Amino acid sequence: MLLVIVSGLAVGALYAATALVYNVMFSTSKVLSVTTGHLCMLGGVFGAWLVSDLGVPSVLGLAGAALVGAAFGFLTEIVAIRRVLSRPVEHLWLLTTLAMATMVQQAVGLWWGTEPRPFPRLIPQDFSAGVMDQKYWLPIVTVIVMVLGLEFFYRRTMYGKVFVAMSEDVFAAQARGIATSRVRSLSYVIAGALGAVAGFAAGQLTFAFFAVGHGLTLYGFIALAAGGLGSNVGALVGGLALGLFSTFATYFFGGEYQQTIAVGLLIVVLLLKPEGIFGQRQVRAV
Amino acid sequence: MKERMLRVGIVRALAAAGVLAASGLISQTALAEEPIKIGWLSSLTGPLSSAAVAENQGVQYAVEEINKAGGINGRQIELLTRDTAGDPTKAVNFAQQLLFRDKVNFIIGPVNSGESLATGPIAAKAGVPNIVIGSIDELTDSKKFPLAFRAINTNTQWIKSANDYALDVLKRKKVAVIGDTSGYGTSSAKTAAELLKKAGVEPVYSALVDPNKTDLSDEISKARAAGADVLMPWSAATGLLGRLLNTRGNMQWDVPVVGHPALMALPIKELLNKPEYWDGVYAAGYVSTTYGTDGKLPERTQALMDAMRPKLGGEINFTFWWVALGYDTVKVIEHAVKKAGSTEPKAFQAAMESTTGLDGVYATYSWGPDQRNGFPDSGMVVNRANTFKDGSFELAPQ
Amino acid sequence: MTNTRSPAGSAGLLAGGVALATLPLWVGDFYQLHLAQLIGVYWILIVGLNLVVGFTGQLSIGHVGLLAIGAYTFAFLAGTHELNPLFAIAIAGVIGGLCGLLLGLPSLRLPGFYFAMTTMAFSLIVTELTLAQDEITGGGIGLAVPGVSAPFDTPDGLYWLILIVGGLVTWLTWNVSRCMWGRSLIAIRDSEITAMAVGISLFRAKLIVFVFSGVTAGVAGALFASLQSYITPDTFVFELGLFFFVCIIIGGRGSILGPFIGTIILTALPELVAPLAKLGNFFYGLTLLAVVLLIPEGLQRLFEVLAEKLRPRRIESHVVTPDLTRLAAAIREGQSS
Repeated sequence: MLLVIVSGLAVGALYAATALVYNVMFSTSKVLSVTTGHLCMLGGVFGAWLVSDLGVPSVLGLAGAALVGAAFGFLTEIVAIRRVLSRPVEHLWLLTTLAMATMVQQAVGLWWGTEPRPFPRLIPQDFSAGVMDQKYWLPIVTVIVMVLGLEFFYRRTMYGKVFVAMSEDVFAAQARGIATSRVRSLSYVIAGALGAVAGFAAGQLTFAFFAVGHGLTLYGFIALAAGGLGSNVGALVGGLALGLFSTFATYFFGGEYQQTIAVGLLIVVLLLKPEGIFGQRQVRAV
Repeated sequence: MKERMLRVGIVRALAAAGVLAASGLISQTALAEEPIKIGWLSSLTGPLSSAAVAENQGVQYAVEEINKAGGINGRQIELLTRDTAGDPTKAVNFAQQLLFRDKVNFIIGPVNSGESLATGPIAAKAGVPNIVIGSIDELTDSKKFPLAFRAINTNTQWIKSANDYALDVLKRKKVAVIGDTSGYGTSSAKTAAELLKKAGVEPVYSALVDPNKTDLSDEISKARAAGADVLMPWSAATGLLGRLLNTRGNMQWDVPVVGHPALMALPIKELLNKPEYWDGVYAAGYVSTTYGTDGKLPERTQALMDAMRPKLGGEINFTFWWVALGYDTVKVIEHAVKKAGSTEPKAFQAAMESTTGLDGVYATYSWGPDQRNGFPDSGMVVNRANTFKDGSFELAPQ
Repeated sequence: MTNTRSPAGSAGLLAGGVALATLPLWVGDFYQLHLAQLIGVYWILIVGLNLVVGFTGQLSIGHVGLLAIGAYTFAFLAGTHELNPLFAIAIAGVIGGLCGLLLGLPSLRLPGFYFAMTTMAFSLIVTELTLAQDEITGGGIGLAVPGVSAPFDTPDGLYWLILIVGGLVTWLTWNVSRCMWGRSLIAIRDSEITAMAVGISLFRAKLIVFVFSGVTAGVAGALFASLQSYITPDTFVFELGLFFFVCIIIGGRGSILGPFIGTIILTALPELVAPLAKLGNFFYGLTLLAVVLLIPEGLQRLFEVLAEKLRPRRIESHVVTPDLTRLAAAIREGQSS
């Protein structure tokens, strides 16, 4: 039973990390990017490629994967976000990020292959460690570090405060002399790196597989919507809860209704508390 | 002057006559050697491409070999390959294209059962013979699809040989059946449970698992708690099978695993935490790709492997029976066309129905008036997964 | 979009209609006819979805789930229970509409991205349920689907049935788009707040349109199943839902002709150009990105621009000749006073 809880937490940590990445991009651009899950996929695939195929040490592999994620985040902002946000039409970003997500998944599939490939062991440890196995604890520790780091960043650093200012009101921030489009770019780079790091940390769970992004985009979003959009604590709690919930649901009811149950949870939460558990009720601007 | 003109005229006339004669010759030979068109529906890209890519090697090689030797009854083979990407809708489109626009004489494929289920009725309607290489039992039916002949074994043959091995040879009675939630996984897991019941064994545990589920510890712990003494996974999803073997190994649970041939594929080996996690894994396989006690492959398999090795890049790092199957599909067509003396569907059907004991590389085939599955039960064995060498295996301990 | 009908426009429409109606008579072979049928079936779904996506601006990427429901309803009723196929198609439409209602009731209250994700999740759930409920759906093995009854039981007949249904729903949406209703939908798409301010009942309008799209998706599913002659859960992949969505966006939102052309191009192009098939979804993604960035109004806008370029422009010149004597008189009068 302990193993079920830990494995649920580990999967939940990956969902939570995805939700956090959503938040970072959302704070500066009010965009929920469909590419979010694919950032984690990039981390897993490029991590495996660097460490297993090229024989790079794990630390450098992590850095390389983060770099790839950051580059893709940067590219997403330039291609899919910047030009679209200046247009008056709503939700165009949904189309452009969807296009980016589809393209990156297919491109990685063509290059890397469509079969899952192994992700290397990062820390020397025997495989019979059971609940203490690194494949469970690496994502959990990573997501906790990410939440603490982000909170520190938002509260204690200048750039973090700029992020918060932009998430409150972009025009006011601009009026105060903040180069909003540069900050937005930076937030996508950070999001890309964080997503890739999360994917790297969870690589031993997911394997290096081109198709994990799609599901993570959905589950990360469910975690975020349940926890409350914009709240990092909400993302963490929502992700861990979703991971535990779906693992227990599979444990008791079998895998046939896994998605039905997860989405059912989302709809119940949204009907009862549309802003999510830790979200702030949005005052609609007229 | 006049003379010269005349001469020119004669030369021209001669040249024209020559061209005419030559063109007549060409059209005549073209009539006699109109190519035999074979449509090959293959999912060369997409999530299930590894089998199709290997089978394609075999198909291509057989076509080249036959064409080099002068074709079938003097007619060359024209192979029309279409990449369906594993999508049934695309498979239907391409089947229509091959049948009605390109007017092929034969269809091989598609590779995946889900696509085959959709294209089978279309080929039947068009009256074009179809060599089936999907394993789902429903794909052949001598009444509904009289022109569809299967070269591969059926799913039931796979499951039955694995069940027999688990029950009769390993003497296990407490079976845990694990399928994935894909179409193939759910239906196979169901068939497996039914066949076990027929043999008087009720599975102690059965579960369907999402092929991308990141962790199988709860399923495996439950199977263990239910007292299972053999695990039988029915899934072609590499990731799922890799996780299953890893979990079993990490839990240090010494239980045999018997199931789908994908358990023996090389990508599984790469996914394993430790090489020894492949011990005690047995999967349904073939006599044709099993090493004998003398360490040798059957003669015909070895001959094909030797002939194709340079083309395959020296090392064979995929299951070789795929190549053998692809090779045989073309050879089966060659055999039937030679026997029938034409590509007429009716004549082809009669020739196929009277074919018994046709020696292919992959198996020795026999079809009959009510028998559309050519693969004999005697062609099935159970292999030991960790003996992978050149895409072939050793026999599981008896 | 232009609703005024010029004589040239009517002639074009008529010629197009005649060409479509006689298509089985002049088309090359069954393969091309099959493609035409497939485009027609997709169009029946897309025309309904177009009201949701193109007019009302609700980004549904999961209509493939409703297509699957229609297809399985038809296969179950006409195949397993041997009901009259035409009646089964009608029931598939009703079931599709009901499922649209069930999906729309909670999800249409959600903002854009939430709605898109819910529809996507819906299509995944449908696949999951078709696999799990194998007594009805045949599980992973799927179901054989019968053809439609006479006089639609030949390939030509099926084509004409698709054409009739397609024409009917197109006509319906065309009417909707012209009347006040259609205008109110566009108002919702462009600004929900403004729409509410002018007294449009937001949720009701969205829900009615969504249910209508469910009906067309259900009917399209039934025809699709009959056309494919066999359905398995593998047929109804998420990418198909994405494809419908992309057809509309590429064609142009708030237009009917645009998405129609988008459907034709996106269905036929990968069939005609083999290397595109290899790229698969990458091609759809790239097309979507290019269209949104370069011509956000879609192909429709491109055609309009071209049409304006080609059309002989009648420049009405109003030459104003000043009445100099009067002017002089007026000036003089002004000076004298």
